[in-house]
Amino acid sequence: MVGGVLIIKDREEVMENVATHEDWKVCFARLAPGLLLFARQWMRSSADAEDVVQEAFVRFWRKQLSIDNRALLYATVRSIALDFIRRDSRRARREVNAFSGSEQSVEPHFEVDDESQQVLHDAVDRLPHEQREVLVMKIWNELTFAEIANVLGISQNTAASRYRYALAALKKNLLPHE
Amino acid sequence: MNDFSELESELKKLRPVQPSENLAARIGCALAEAPASAATAGVLPKLQHFRVNWLSLGVGLTAAAALFLFAHIDGDHLVKQAPATASAPSASSRTNTEKADQLVVSGLSQVVYNTRDEGLLFADDAAQPVRRVRSQTRETLQWRNPGTGASLRVSYPSEEVSLIPVSGQ
Repeated sequence: MVGGVLIIKDREEVMENVATHEDWKVCFARLAPGLLLFARQWMRSSADAEDVVQEAFVRFWRKQLSIDNRALLYATVRSIALDFIRRDSRRARREVNAFSGSEQSVEPHFEVDDESQQVLHDAVDRLPHEQREVLVMKIWNELTFAEIANVLGISQNTAASRYRYALAALKKNLLPHE
Repeated sequence: MNDFSELESELKKLRPVQPSENLAARIGCALAEAPASAATAGVLPKLQHFRVNWLSLGVGLTAAAALFLFAHIDGDHLVKQAPATASAPSASSRTNTEKADQLVVSGLSQVVYNTRDEGLLFADDAAQPVRRVRSQTRETLQWRNPGTGASLRVSYPSEEVSLIPVSGQ
């Protein structure tokens, strides 16, 4: 976890560890930032997102699910996050308002080093939710389109299209700053 | 996709923030607890059994029973009437008469007007999660009497919950 950069490296090795229960702490340390970022898309606070990640990770670990189902961990996070929202009507209204607003207030949280990264961060933040969801899974969690499709219950083509649309939108938004 | 390679590399330089230090400790505690007591932490709903819409089921069964009785009584009536005719009909002709005056099923339709994906569920004894899909439908049964042209139609709403095993890649 040097400098927080080593996040998703050696994912296959990590997931094998999860499968064999060798050391959940190592697995969690490597996966947690990406999972947390993924959960933050639905949760307004980092505390809620951490609750979701905790619940998902514990469930996944306990069930000893096959790591061939790599997308399952992310599907679990997503499912728990959506259930979390559904359970609390006030929260749900708040989230709906947040999503329907002109500006997205649910932010992916990144460690920003300079102004150009802040601009990129803001551009990601302005993406439509469907596109950002795919982007987060693809870029910062390194899931394949097949896995993303599995998580979201969509086709691979749709997942790939959303990813391309996200990149195109980012590029368009970033043009004035380049 | 090559047009975006530079952008992708820039995106990958963005580092997600680290979780709080106590998150790992909380997970450690949760994993140390007995599985049954810490399975949900109040976040996930328990696996629900299939829920039957009793009203719809009752209406449907009542309608079906009434129709069955109606058709049965009508058939008996015809059977009793048949011997009173001047020339005793053969068995085949009597059967044809019964068939002609009975209601026969002429249509069955099921219209799904709403389907909702309710997410993944984890049964305690299941090896893999299932996706719960709730479908709301309207089923319509229709009978027709070929002899008289009379028809009877029963329509009722129904709700179906499907648990679809999920297999990721």
